[in-house]
Amino acid sequence: MIVIKSGGRVIKNSFDKLINSLSNYNESAVFVHGGGDIVTDYSKRMGIEPTFVVSPEGIRSRYTTREELDIYVMAMNLINKNIVSSISSKGRNVVGITGADGPSIYAERKKRIMIIDERGKKRIIEGGYTGKIIKVNNEFLLGLISLVNYVVMAPIAIDVNEGVLLNVDGDQMALAVAKTLRADALVILTDVEGVLVDGKVINKLSVNEAKDLAKKIGPGMNRKILMAASAVEEGVKRVIISSGLKDNSVLEALSGKGTVIE
Amino acid sequence: MVTLKCPICGGNVEVEDNALPGEIIEHECGAQLEVFNDNGRLSLRLAETVGEDWGE
Repeated sequence: MIVIKSGGRVIKNSFDKLINSLSNYNESAVFVHGGGDIVTDYSKRMGIEPTFVVSPEGIRSRYTTREELDIYVMAMNLINKNIVSSISSKGRNVVGITGADGPSIYAERKKRIMIIDERGKKRIIEGGYTGKIIKVNNEFLLGLISLVNYVVMAPIAIDVNEGVLLNVDGDQMALAVAKTLRADALVILTDVEGVLVDGKVINKLSVNEAKDLAKKIGPGMNRKILMAASAVEEGVKRVIISSGLKDNSVLEALSGKGTVIE
Repeated sequence: MVTLKCPICGGNVEVEDNALPGEIIEHECGAQLEVFNDNGRLSLRLAETVGEDWGE
């Protein structure tokens, strides 16, 4: 069983190719989708200008207010159902859920986050409605996978203590699911060919090489590499970071195109 | 500038007049301090570690 993650840019710019690629993979998989850029579009169309904050490490993230959480949940569910209907139209059995269904993904609301504010100073602010994943419901997901080819998951989790839905990072959700299910592979489809160093794709990395490289490359990809290393350390057989913009991207990634961390 | 006391080492900490609650100050003793509003006055406490695994 494999876990596949695709970011919002691949979904926005290469939707048909992505659906074909997912449909051409004939075994069972969990597919976790992103969609941050699409949420931003909907937010603007609904008259709410999204707010972004930058962490001390330079990572830019959406700041999710209660109002924006509603738009996030609406837009992510729409993306989820568009993927479900498109894969279904290719003759595959598929179910689309959020982490609140089951519940399958438990998270804790991040009550405080550290940012770099507009004056360039480090500051702790209220965390809004983003969450840290604390548990994956293994049995529920395995039960679903036994019924369908694909489980499509939106990056929404539930904080059962506060009774709220939370915006969680799609990469983190895919990582948590892959670790819990001890997946044969975690395929991360991005808008680049793999991990690039001096313009060339690095084809293979050990866990230690991945950790060393993460210190030398920019925010965004460095987080993916550290995630990949952590996944392999915790039982995922291999992680492949590869382009989702190509035909047959899932099978290409599984054949070793891109960067393989194992 | 306002001079406040480091809650860890007791030394002086210079804080800008326009500092905002939540602002982080690295003190020379190594402590990472958070500015907070203590009944209308700026004060300092040890900043808790805040992770970075935010949402989408």
